[in-house]
Amino acid sequence: MNQHLYLRAYMAGVVVPTVLLLAGFSVFVIARFVYHVPAPIERLLVFPLVIVPNAFGLWNMLYVVQRPHWHVPIGLHGAALPFVLGPMGLVLGSELGFLRMTGNGIIWFEIVHIPIWLVCVIPFLGIAGYYLIWKYLVGFLNRVQGIE
Amino acid sequence: MKPENHDFEEVRSALRKAFPPFDTELRRDLWPAMRARLEAPSARVPWYDWALAGGLAGAMVVFPKLLLLFVYHL
Repeated sequence: MNQHLYLRAYMAGVVVPTVLLLAGFSVFVIARFVYHVPAPIERLLVFPLVIVPNAFGLWNMLYVVQRPHWHVPIGLHGAALPFVLGPMGLVLGSELGFLRMTGNGIIWFEIVHIPIWLVCVIPFLGIAGYYLIWKYLVGFLNRVQGIE
Repeated sequence: MKPENHDFEEVRSALRKAFPPFDTELRRDLWPAMRARLEAPSARVPWYDWALAGGLAGAMVVFPKLLLLFVYHL
């Protein structure tokens, strides 16, 4: 069972965002084609479809690599991932044109206006969400894979 | 005893010495341990995790547009 440890860690990490992508994609499709929200889905999907699942897999591999040397609970390890993904999402969103900064906040997808005070709160919400996802979902998958 | 039978017995006894019989019996009954594991209460979710989950759910209810943002980063 000790064979291919890193591959199993990668696979366990990839599962959660891949499954949740179905829900996310459904939300985007309904918003775009039912409510005619002018969101460029093709460009939007690059980040959640390609970058996020791979980041989860690689981050779980990193957890397995560093565990013998410096044991960090998996929830805290996962809570650090938004510090990598957050800036990447911002840069990508800005470059692809669906994130725009204004004087009093940020406009996402041309429909979601987020005021400055909420922009300051969002990172904490993201960290809390990732902490819970990693502690309970990825941790469970790691146990299923015999990693923990 | 024929000489070929004698050789056969010698080989047989040598093999028996080299390979002792396997211990196929369980040293202890495994069912009580399995049953205890099945009946053990699952790990309890600490109060601060409930608080975080509640806070997140509340934030999504108050600011539903954030759900789109959260989905995008997942």
